Amino acid sequence: MTAFVTLAGVYSTPDFGGERSLDQDLMTTSRALDQFLSSVEKRAFKIAQLGLRNDDDALDAVQDSMMKLVQSYASRAVDEWRPLFYRILANRIRDMQRRRTVRGRIMAWLPVRDADDDEEFDPIAQAPSHDPGPAKRLELDEAIGVLETAVAELPARQQQAFLLRNFEGLDVGQTASAMGCSEGSVKTHYFRALENLRAKLGEVF
Amino acid sequence: MTEEFEKRTHEILEESAGRLDGRTRSRLTQARHAALAQLAQPARHWWRAYVPVGAAAAVAVLAVVIWSGQPPGTAPTLVVSPVDDLELLADAEAQDFVDDGEDLEFYEWAAGEAET
Repeated sequence: MTAFVTLAGVYSTPDFGGERSLDQDLMTTSRALDQFLSSVEKRAFKIAQLGLRNDDDALDAVQDSMMKLVQSYASRAVDEWRPLFYRILANRIRDMQRRRTVRGRIMAWLPVRDADDDEEFDPIAQAPSHDPGPAKRLELDEAIGVLETAVAELPARQQQAFLLRNFEGLDVGQTASAMGCSEGSVKTHYFRALENLRAKLGEVF
Repeated sequence: MTEEFEKRTHEILEESAGRLDGRTRSRLTQARHAALAQLAQPARHWWRAYVPVGAAAAVAVLAVVIWSGQPPGTAPTLVVSPVDDLELLADAEAQDFVDDGEDLEFYEWAAGEAET
């Protein structure tokens, strides 16, 4: 909703025939994109977080993917957005993983700096999240921790297939489109991911 | 069995996504708004990026033309007077370049040509 405050300058300009129609199209697209992005942002963040194992990098990856989608694919059909968005996100995660590998080799030669030095107090960070109650919370905490560790340890393609199919709920075709591979490969990666996870989590789940 | 496992993992991941802290949720909202703000920006034309470079090049060319005092494309004119040639040939110092007795006939002929 706040997004339209940003766009207010455009919508408040005088209408001259076709401009009104263009503005209406823009507003419709903006509303649809806002709805789409807000529907996927949390899961996208979790996927990026599990792939990158760093919150800030995950947020950057999600933001870059949102920017790219709006910049390049806003005019595409709404039902194409999801596979496109996850394709962009998957590429971004892979790029960041590669960059991090290179950076890690360079940083290994430099003295270690405490990351906490850069942390500033953020009141929003202190805001409470949804709390299901102490006992349930403890149980879920454990389950989340175990599952996320196991998912994070999966090979990259298995992890992608598992998260897109199981977590995001894409069908095989959409997952193949997002991963840039065949449907057969998706089925194989997903099957192997389930096998790996069951082997690790069988006793817990 | 498999379906149950898939359902359970899905629920746990959903629960995890629903528990994101305030800072993360706020940054995701900011990211979304920043992305949507791009829609409001006017379309960029690629050639506009080259306008400053073109202007700078035009100014540089103009500066060179003004500095040299001649419009481009005008070749400098070489005006040589026959008298100058004669003076050069008759110059005592210039005689140093000529070996004694050699090519004197040529210089005499050249002097005659200049006088005519």
